[in-house]
Amino acid sequence: MQGDGNILVLKQVCKEFPGVKALNNVDFSLRKGEVHALVGENGAGKSTLMKILSGAYAKDNGTIEFDGKEVEIPSPKASEKLGIAIIYQELNLINRISVAENVFLGRAPKKNGVIHWKKMYKDAKELFNSFDINIDVSKFARDFSIAQQQIIEIIKAVSINAKVVIMDEPTSSLTENETQILFKIIRSLKAKGISIIFITHRLDEIFEISDRLTVLRDGCYIGTKDVKDITKSELIKMMIGRELKQQFPQRNVQIGDECFRVEHISDDNKVKDVSFCVHKGEVLGFAGLVGAGRTETMRLIFGADKKTKGKVFISNKEVQIKRPKQSVGEKVGFVTENRKEEGLFLKLPVKNNIVSVAIDKIKTLKVLDFKKEKAFCEKYITDLRIHTPSINQSVVFLSGGNQQKVVLAKWLFSDSEVMILDEPTRGIDVGAKREIFEIINQLAAQGKAIIFISSEMEEILGVSDRIIVMHEGKISGEVMKKDFSEQVITEYAFGGA
Amino acid sequence: MQTKENIMKKNSFFEGINKFVNAMGVWLVVVLFFVILSLTTDTFLSYANLINVVRQICVNALVALGTAYVILGGEIDLSTGNMCAFTGCGTALLMVAGVNMWIAIIIMLIVGSLIGALTGLIVTFLRIPSFIASLGMSYVILGATLLLTNSEPISGLPQSFMTFGRGYIADVVPVPVIILFIFFAIGAFFLKYTSFGRSVISVGENPVAARLSGIDVLLTKILIFAIGGFTASAAGIVLASRLSSGQPMAAGDVGLTAIAAVFVGGTEKGSAMNVLAGAFVLGLVNNGLNLLEVNAYWQKVALGLIIILAVLLDQIRASRAVSVKKK
Repeated sequence: MQGDGNILVLKQVCKEFPGVKALNNVDFSLRKGEVHALVGENGAGKSTLMKILSGAYAKDNGTIEFDGKEVEIPSPKASEKLGIAIIYQELNLINRISVAENVFLGRAPKKNGVIHWKKMYKDAKELFNSFDINIDVSKFARDFSIAQQQIIEIIKAVSINAKVVIMDEPTSSLTENETQILFKIIRSLKAKGISIIFITHRLDEIFEISDRLTVLRDGCYIGTKDVKDITKSELIKMMIGRELKQQFPQRNVQIGDECFRVEHISDDNKVKDVSFCVHKGEVLGFAGLVGAGRTETMRLIFGADKKTKGKVFISNKEVQIKRPKQSVGEKVGFVTENRKEEGLFLKLPVKNNIVSVAIDKIKTLKVLDFKKEKAFCEKYITDLRIHTPSINQSVVFLSGGNQQKVVLAKWLFSDSEVMILDEPTRGIDVGAKREIFEIINQLAAQGKAIIFISSEMEEILGVSDRIIVMHEGKISGEVMKKDFSEQVITEYAFGGA
Repeated sequence: MQTKENIMKKNSFFEGINKFVNAMGVWLVVVLFFVILSLTTDTFLSYANLINVVRQICVNALVALGTAYVILGGEIDLSTGNMCAFTGCGTALLMVAGVNMWIAIIIMLIVGSLIGALTGLIVTFLRIPSFIASLGMSYVILGATLLLTNSEPISGLPQSFMTFGRGYIADVVPVPVIILFIFFAIGAFFLKYTSFGRSVISVGENPVAARLSGIDVLLTKILIFAIGGFTASAAGIVLASRLSSGQPMAAGDVGLTAIAAVFVGGTEKGSAMNVLAGAFVLGLVNNGLNLLEVNAYWQKVALGLIIILAVLLDQIRASRAVSVKKK
């Protein structure tokens, strides 16, 4: 049924958010009955494009043609009506109702004004049978595995007459076997003339299941290729290859002895056997795709989550860390990626936030000494150039960059020797970013060991002394400064070439 | 830059006003009510009435103090009312059984704290929301009280015991007021000047960030419930002393009034003195409506509306403060 006709054509689509062009004149076409992979690094614009198609965002510019007619997609309802279905990474089934009810949610067959259960179960059964799937449709959705739930969602989408199904990393939590089952479904959808946009970080899958692929980079359309005409390394080249624009402050620090080492850290789920070490005065970058398990690894090391295996050594001595409190005691600091949810006491004043970890340092005879508190806090406000009218200001009123500096101050005040910085520049402006990099340099100069997680390629190349790349919970590569290149890091991030 | 500085100055002026209102907040309302009642009634300013008001407030304010720790720590305790009756009766029973008064009091204070800690354990380790956990505990405590007393008042208490609720120091200052003063001095001190007080406020604001900052969230939560149990027990003993008996059904809605006092006082500032002000507001309203001879049933309606109004005003003030700062 592979026809020549396009079901969906996007032309010159633009979307701008304050300060960032998420999509810049993007073209995209989808043929009837094809599987079309959408590829790109973190922040390339894949999600934004998807959200425009689903009606979650409105495009600023450009046209969308669906089935030959120009259309607007102002809302998710409109998108569904056109026949576009999106299968998200997080599943959207309702756990405690049956599969049949999920499939017919909001459109259950009725008889005399009440739900016709018998017909609903029968219809659902037939629907699944038509895809060669044999499941008990009266069971709760939660009783099925993630892969099965995903398939249920896809079939639900198709039954609502979807002509285009968009799948956002559908295989990210599936086993190899389950992936093959999913691919079987995809092929049978294809045979029915349904088109599929397939987003994945696994390059091998693109070559296995897709007909064509489109590459986005930094919100720009890079190109569309037939999968049979391209090699993996050519694809990676298309995905990277931007110029480094940002300047990073220079650092001249003698890297010292090893001061922190972890061995075989696992949680039997998202983190698999991670080992690495970091030296005094060294900035160790952690690169990888979003969801590669970097944050999860750090949470295990810090004691925020429970590890099933693994040891942590500080200055070659094994330490037991089961709770964050113990990490704090061992002088390990953790600047988390979500500062508002995990790093700050938003409504509380700047001073409460800064002293929250090392509160014992402001005591005189067991009693809090507000003079000491003021002196310390003002020192950090000056040193880190935190813009706040006073130490009594609630941090909620500070800008993102200043909030992040408050979080840094909190850990500096606790004299952390090892600092884990998880996406420390997320959501802050360029000026503040540079200041954060300068603080990182100062810390390195003081002989602290820094673990720096970032999903921004330029940043991680510009700031790190050494980079460890993770892919699906494992370390897929380690790159020394002299070998730094986007190509190498990207290859490792996609699991190695 | 110049204009920006001007704006900053202007903001700090507004902040100044806000700070004053924030600092005085509920105490302003207390003063206002005091003046209104002095002007509208003949009896309010009489010594006998004022003493009466203060004595009534004592029990509520004591319960509210512990409840404030619980609420600031991000939880709620609905069991404090029944806890009052339980410890009041418990102390009475022990004394009737011949136990030394001081030992009876100490035992019941400890028991009350432990029961509070138990609620805390249920909340933290069994992960039952505190609303439900304390509701359940409330019934357990009520049932225990009824079982122990057979639902009858325990009277025949030693004369010296009456001092806590009815005595006077130098024939002028009621003993319960002294107790209240001591409790609030200690309670305010711990909240403001110790790392434990900071932990309570941090945990209440953001338990996730608190844990990641190395604060022992579980222990903090257990302790706030223990403190809630402790002050409720103290209040129960004062109440039993005032009533000269252990009354199984005496506490009524003390627990809920205490929660109201905390919210009327305003939780934003995390100040124990505001809680005291909140208790005063409720006490004055109660007394004022009595003196104005408002129908008792309408009094309840008025009290309810005042609680809602007080918290509403607090929210309006808080959001105005936000919009001033955001400009």
